[in-house]
Amino acid sequence: MGSKILPKWASKPCVMGIDEAGRGPVLGPMVYGCLYCSQSYLKTLSTLSFADSKTLKEEKREELFETLKLNDSIGWDVDVIDPRELSAKMLKKNKINLNEISHSSAMGLIDRVLKMGVLLTEVYIDTVGDAGKYEMKLSNSFPSIKFVVAKKADSLYPVVSGASIVAKVTRDRALREWVLDETAENMQRNFGSGYPGDPQTKSWLEDHKHHIFGFPSLVRFSWGTCNSYFKDAAEVLWESDNLDEDGGGSNNKNGKRQLKLSNVGFTTSKRSEEIESSGKGRCRFFQARKLEHLTYF
Amino acid sequence: MLELRLVQGSLLKKVLESVKELVNDANFDCSSTGFSLQAMDSSHVALVALLLRSEGFEHYRCDRNISMGMNLNNMAKMLKCAGNDDIITIKADDGSDTVTFMFESPTQDKISDFEMKLMDIDSEHLGIPEAEYHAIVKMPSSEFARICKDLSSIGDTVVISVTKEGVKFSTKGDIGTANIVCRQNTSVDKPEEATVIEMNEPVSLTFALRYMNSFTKATPLSNTVTISLSNELPVVVEYKIAEMGYVRFYLAPKIEEDEEDTKPQV
Repeated sequence: MGSKILPKWASKPCVMGIDEAGRGPVLGPMVYGCLYCSQSYLKTLSTLSFADSKTLKEEKREELFETLKLNDSIGWDVDVIDPRELSAKMLKKNKINLNEISHSSAMGLIDRVLKMGVLLTEVYIDTVGDAGKYEMKLSNSFPSIKFVVAKKADSLYPVVSGASIVAKVTRDRALREWVLDETAENMQRNFGSGYPGDPQTKSWLEDHKHHIFGFPSLVRFSWGTCNSYFKDAAEVLWESDNLDEDGGGSNNKNGKRQLKLSNVGFTTSKRSEEIESSGKGRCRFFQARKLEHLTYF
Repeated sequence: MLELRLVQGSLLKKVLESVKELVNDANFDCSSTGFSLQAMDSSHVALVALLLRSEGFEHYRCDRNISMGMNLNNMAKMLKCAGNDDIITIKADDGSDTVTFMFESPTQDKISDFEMKLMDIDSEHLGIPEAEYHAIVKMPSSEFARICKDLSSIGDTVVISVTKEGVKFSTKGDIGTANIVCRQNTSVDKPEEATVIEMNEPVSLTFALRYMNSFTKATPLSNTVTISLSNELPVVVEYKIAEMGYVRFYLAPKIEEDEEDTKPQV
């Protein structure tokens, strides 16, 4: 993730580009990448053959990424957002949409680089949602930085072109090296580009869907694409839905709000490791998602 | 190794009946001091704390601290197979994934042996904050159960108010309102029929009756129930278990909708 020691040029005014890869696919992570260098290095940067990653072939992208990593005048970083995180945020009760996730990721990268001590004065970024609103949001969070939020920023600004390569190569590698958590007889990795329209991806989804568990965790369950595959799957009744219905939740017809124990001073902590727990462990699927079985409905 | 022998086995049967409605799965923690359980309901609104002290068992052997995860409904099914006068023994070997319940009839002419699988339950230890209660009401448990049952037919929440006059239980619903006042009376012949109120400060709190009724499943355990209240704290409904322990239920109150919003963000 770039040099740990802060280079000398970083204490002079610096410019950053931010771009993402893997926004549209139904599987794999979404990756936000950034690239930054000193203002004085911008001219040199524009001579380095960076281009919008979408216009380059994979071999060229890989080559440029390696060149970039060796370049002492350039810094870079990535935020890899796991498909499970995307699904969890987009499907939870208080939904977080993809634009918000994108904004948070970009701002996270800026914050990380600032905390390293880099003197960022300008940031160029491809727009997500309304450009004006996004720029205002960014400026409110980072008043000392001038932001340029534009469409096709990855074609117009070399720092964003570089960021797009960082993001794209990182995503491609993550996907190539992805270790499927699930154990089943017919797990294959020939999932194609991952885009919903790709016939290879469609075929892979069809072959890897499960009646109860859905898909391998590589897949973004929150994508609309997934719904058509779930028509014949087992129906799940969520407890929190019931709580709302019978007034157990906060929307109570009496106009009084039910407090939880944590609202009134009860705390929880990790169970002591001295105490040995008996019983066979439950399936990792249920443990990871904190699901428990019910004995009556 | 764990081996606990309880002559008054019906106590354990009653404990399970009182707890299983609130909590599906829980860890029983066994140490040299006793057999205990602590668990919240699934919505984290109520908590049950159970303690059976080791001295209360005829035989209590616990070589090291152990936590046994059990589905309480299944455990209740097992204990239902014990007669009301049976002696119950609970056994578990170190590292075992099962627990054994042995039931002996008083005359020893029938011995039953039931083995139940244990579960690995991810749970956390719960910190119950120290509290000084503004009002403590001790009353017959059957009376309290009757009050909760009666009020449930009128509304779904109960307001419990304690003043020096007594304790008032109120509810209102679509068909009307209901109020039940219990005055302090210490001059009755039997101590367990008395209603005793200690009050430092008047208290008024609102609770969901659904939970209160669930708590009153513990009525068979004790003739009396103790209700401890402080404004803005959970109520504690406590039933003693003979001379060997207690089961306590904690329930978070309900507040007016706007109250919570004005509280500072933690």
